[in-house]
Amino acid sequence: MGVNTYIEACGIAPSNFVGVLGFRVGLYDAATVRVNATGNISVMVGAHSHGQGHETTFPQIVSELLGVAEESVEIVHGGTAKTPFGMGSYGSRSLAVRGSAIVRATEKIISKSKKIAAHMLETSEVDLEFSAGAIRVAGTDKSVSFGEVAFKAYVPHDFPHEELEPGLEESAFYDPANFIYPAGAYACKVEVDPETGKVKICKFTAIDDFGNVINPLIVDGQVHGGLAQGIGQALLESCVYDKNGQLVSGSFMDYLMPRATDMPQFTVDHSCITPCIHNPLGVKGCGEAGPIGSPPAVVNAVINALQSGGHTHVTHIDMPMSPSRVWSAINS
Amino acid sequence: MHNFEFLKPSTVKDAVAALDTEDAQALGGGQTLIPAMKQRLAAPKKLVSLGGIADLQGVKISGEVVSVGGSTIHAEVAAANVFSGLKLLAGGIGDPAVRNRGTIGGSLANNDPAACYPAAALGTGATIITNTRKIAADDYFQGMFTTALHEGEIITSVTMPVPEVSNYQKFEQPASRFALVGVFVAKYADWVRVAVTGASEDGVFRWSEAEAAFSASFSADALSDLSLDACGMIEDLHGSKAYRANLVKVLAGRAVSAAS
Repeated sequence: MGVNTYIEACGIAPSNFVGVLGFRVGLYDAATVRVNATGNISVMVGAHSHGQGHETTFPQIVSELLGVAEESVEIVHGGTAKTPFGMGSYGSRSLAVRGSAIVRATEKIISKSKKIAAHMLETSEVDLEFSAGAIRVAGTDKSVSFGEVAFKAYVPHDFPHEELEPGLEESAFYDPANFIYPAGAYACKVEVDPETGKVKICKFTAIDDFGNVINPLIVDGQVHGGLAQGIGQALLESCVYDKNGQLVSGSFMDYLMPRATDMPQFTVDHSCITPCIHNPLGVKGCGEAGPIGSPPAVVNAVINALQSGGHTHVTHIDMPMSPSRVWSAINS
Repeated sequence: MHNFEFLKPSTVKDAVAALDTEDAQALGGGQTLIPAMKQRLAAPKKLVSLGGIADLQGVKISGEVVSVGGSTIHAEVAAANVFSGLKLLAGGIGDPAVRNRGTIGGSLANNDPAACYPAAALGTGATIITNTRKIAADDYFQGMFTTALHEGEIITSVTMPVPEVSNYQKFEQPASRFALVGVFVAKYADWVRVAVTGASEDGVFRWSEAEAAFSASFSADALSDLSLDACGMIEDLHGSKAYRANLVKVLAGRAVSAAS
């Protein structure tokens, strides 16, 4: 059995802090929310999704804030000609930094919607409440739907144009106040065949505190993928060069890409929730947790198994702990 | 892949005639040759498929002998009522896609040092039957990727005497899942054969000391005083010579335990 706990500084990062560290860039992120005349919404973001599910999670944020259907929100990414200047997807930052930019831009949409609704309802915007896809005069039954406001924004025949711009499109740049600090505890149970050195993972449990979770299924998937990557590092993956500098693990006939059959059934849990206190979503990153938390748990488990089996001289094995390395350690 | 001519004759005679030109190459299931051609490591001008010859297909079991046609795919052997070591071996080659394309003749003709079938052929004392002659397995395997076959000679069938008990143990190279080491053990009335694939720089070989030990006592304990010389073993990123020599002993013992 092997256990590992981690705490990670991610969701990078406050620009004034990284500037002090010598980074040559800021680490804000950006989003533009464009409410079209039809009520459909395009959200332009400054990073591409390569499987982590931005197209699913980001619309959930906008949908909840505006009270519109998730499927009416389209994420636009993957082309710098169409998107605001963002800083990319890495460092478990997409939701914490870019998601927060989406929140800020959507809050500006709500603010502008109230201005338009105030004009439509002939009242003051301070008397208006925005909820469940409608803007209503507090304490009355007078309201306009968000769709009516969106249409009005693009057909502004009676707008007081010196006070109220047409259109319903807002951008925000968000620079985080701090890093985010997800934390977790991982446990791994292994069986080692001492005659061949082969390691089998019997059980793997990953418990993480990611703060608020927008989409639990995507978070499960991120952790699963991360665990596969971390277990791959611990047991399988390695770029090997011979003494002449020739790469000998140059194809998947020799490079051990982790496969489903190399993995156990994972138990993951993120029900322990300590919301982040400085971003508007209360979220922490989940992208890197798996590969950070899992390798030490696997290595600790193998060493513990060997020591429990009487091979007390084995205190260290380099990763990846291939069958031949484990066998050599036992017989050293 | 370079361009090539493709023929699929329906008789051995036509196949032999088609192969009688320079740069012609027989094609079994293509599980080695086609990837090699895709990487332009092989560029035959003419491919002669042996897949359309009815005489080369199928598994026949008659009394004490199993006969497998040269173009029989692994999946068919694995599904047939053949002795357990052969069934296990054929059913564990590659993955379902490989087992439904790859053939016994192709595997034996290629004689990859990590292939499974050479262990079954050598471990049973098989006879490799070609269009011109019969070759004993002990004479057939002549080092990695080298066999007694002549240019243009075709394996028409492989006959294996049915052992009393048999087993095949494979320790997979974890990336390719070829045999890092594979050991085939077959017990006959008066002798035991032990054939090892994946381990040696000379390709498949018989471990004669283990054969003698198992002939005296068919149990894993019979190996306790034996060790295999690591000299001549393959060494690569997946295992040292000593590691492979250890695996041979471990797997031989496990094969006997599983067979008895």
